[in-house]
Amino acid sequence: MTELIASVASIDQAKALMHAGVDTIYAGEDYFGLRLPHSFQRAELTTLIKEVHAQGKQIQVAVNAIFHNDRIVHVLDYLQFLAQQKVDRITIGDPGAIRILHQSQLDLPYWYDGADLVTNSRQINFWAQQGAKGAVIANEVPYRELVDLVPNVQIPLQILVYGAAAIHQSGRPLLSNYFNFVQDHQDKLDRAKGLFISEPHKPDTHYSIYEDINGTHIFANNDVDLMTQLPKLAALAVSHWFLDGVFADPTNFPKIAQAFAQARDLLASQSLTAAKLADLDDLVQANQPANRQLDTGFFKIDPSDVK
Amino acid sequence: MITNKPEVLAPAGTMEKLKVAIDYGADAVYIGGDAYGLRSRAGNFSFAEMAEGAAYAHAHGAKVYVAANIVAHEGDINGAGEYFRQVRDHHIDAVIVSDPSLIEIAITQAPGLAVHLSTQASATNWETLKFWQDLGLERIVLAREVGLDEIKEIRKHTDIEIEAFIHGAMCIGYSGRCVLSNHMGLRDANRGGCAQNCRWKYDLFEMPALGDKTELLGENADGKLEDFSMSAVDMAMIEHIPELVEAGVNSLKIEGRMKTVHYVSTVANVYHKAVSDYCANPANYQLDEALVDELWKVAQREMSTGFYFNTPTADDELFGKRRKRPQFKFIGQVLGYDAQAQVVTVQQRNNFGIGDKIEFYGPNFSHYSQTVTELFDEDDLAIERAPHAMQVVHFSCPFPVQKGDFIRAQAIEKPAPVQR
Repeated sequence: MTELIASVASIDQAKALMHAGVDTIYAGEDYFGLRLPHSFQRAELTTLIKEVHAQGKQIQVAVNAIFHNDRIVHVLDYLQFLAQQKVDRITIGDPGAIRILHQSQLDLPYWYDGADLVTNSRQINFWAQQGAKGAVIANEVPYRELVDLVPNVQIPLQILVYGAAAIHQSGRPLLSNYFNFVQDHQDKLDRAKGLFISEPHKPDTHYSIYEDINGTHIFANNDVDLMTQLPKLAALAVSHWFLDGVFADPTNFPKIAQAFAQARDLLASQSLTAAKLADLDDLVQANQPANRQLDTGFFKIDPSDVK
Repeated sequence: MITNKPEVLAPAGTMEKLKVAIDYGADAVYIGGDAYGLRSRAGNFSFAEMAEGAAYAHAHGAKVYVAANIVAHEGDINGAGEYFRQVRDHHIDAVIVSDPSLIEIAITQAPGLAVHLSTQASATNWETLKFWQDLGLERIVLAREVGLDEIKEIRKHTDIEIEAFIHGAMCIGYSGRCVLSNHMGLRDANRGGCAQNCRWKYDLFEMPALGDKTELLGENADGKLEDFSMSAVDMAMIEHIPELVEAGVNSLKIEGRMKTVHYVSTVANVYHKAVSDYCANPANYQLDEALVDELWKVAQREMSTGFYFNTPTADDELFGKRRKRPQFKFIGQVLGYDAQAQVVTVQQRNNFGIGDKIEFYGPNFSHYSQTVTELFDEDDLAIERAPHAMQVVHFSCPFPVQKGDFIRAQAIEKPAPVQR
């Protein structure tokens, strides 16, 4: 059965997401994890984990930051905390954190999440040899590459089926630097400010940009929506579908999750019709924030068109 | 006397640049092969050329590394084992790799070939260095985001070789963690297609609903609208060679496989001189300001120290009006010198002629300037200018320049100071 994973902005939203049919709640603290809807400190995370486990669901925690020396020294303590809380799995992107996890011998399964770097089966199998129980595939891998890749991987894959796709992480405070230069708007840095950039001569483009303690993040022009592509994904046996609500409306995000859960269930019972799929996609579109658009990202791109 | 003298590692986009870089003081060079490299537009080396380059380097006590630092997509890595064995068997000293699939193939299928982790993998802490060391890698090229104090701390925890960028253009993001180019133009930044989108000029705005934009662009000091950009100034660590050596960096890397012979010769020469001077006599070392001036002659942007001393600010990005940089052009190379007649024979590389102020420079930081007052072609006919590519000309020169020395046309503006 395909597993639905959703990022979470609050404990109340977690309840709604699980009610909507999400199997695994994805959360974390921004000191250790990247681009999260909410930074859960330990006490709040503990409450969340209890709630998730009480519902018989799973919790996946982000430990996928790029760590410098100052933070890598705190990773072991955090992993011990997560193991104590019986977290079901974590995501890691920094090999230093994997080394710490190995040496700790904690009972804490990890999935490799190197963001845009995870693009071929041999690499994924390398991480499997390093103990990874799964991997998060890059958003830049088109369907036609997945067809060749998926049969070769030894571990399950998580793929973004809904939400904003990160396309850039800088260690520099790029917004602060700009606003300091022009001496204006210095308070408009975080995700809640809803800032966008557009390409030269393409005023209709709108790439989300914000700053946090992990640097500056930029996201793709449109959010990913693979609803109409789910039959293809299911046929490929890509087993873990990820919904990222980092820019979603907190109330509407569970409705989007519910649409994906319905599609998943109908696919499993081989009763998903084209008309129903279109209805479910309409639901996703209807619950998308007013300032964001949707497309299928790199999914339909012909690999030979990429230079 | 310093015992852990670091190597100066220069880029070599072509065989000519490889030889020039080594002649001008590089202890090692890095090149691209026909496959798996990130600089598809640089002049990449065939196996036979690798062997020729390695032979030249080894005869001069230098090393050659081959960059194979793409992040591969499915099917890209077919044949990689044979490729790495060929690289090894053509006497290359190491490969620079970032994709773990290629790392694993290099280690298991080409035993004996040293593997360096590319900066594309953004290694930023000592545990990460140890992870790769445990797998058999010999060297880590650090992320450009790692500061000098962080390097010192890393050095306390691991003895793996550390390579760090000290000069040249920089990615604005964590290397490897940027696919702006993929999304804006279907050019894969991690497979050699980067369109340098970070250097574009963007609009910046709030937008509560589609089409409902509130512009956030501000004005610069001249009252003109300043576009949002993410363009970094270049890095120059010439003023901090002692700190880098003392921090335990083993290899000082110069960026730029796409750069010119003029650039490579100048930068390699400068850093070779600074590192040699410091390591020979650290107690009495003082930076020769002439070295800084020399770097400005080939500078393409303003320069700063990146992340070495602090998180970069607005001063480390290209906002506002560019400060004036000295403009030099590479005009030729010395083919021979007749000491008795005091006449130099030169092969032209860019148009020059009578009245131009020119500067000869050679390995070991030799310099000589003069104004061209006469010029003769191969038939001994007096000419005003040498406009033809590779044209051979001669003129009088009282200074005994050496065969192979390079010539540049001299600056008009005074160099700006290195920005801190």
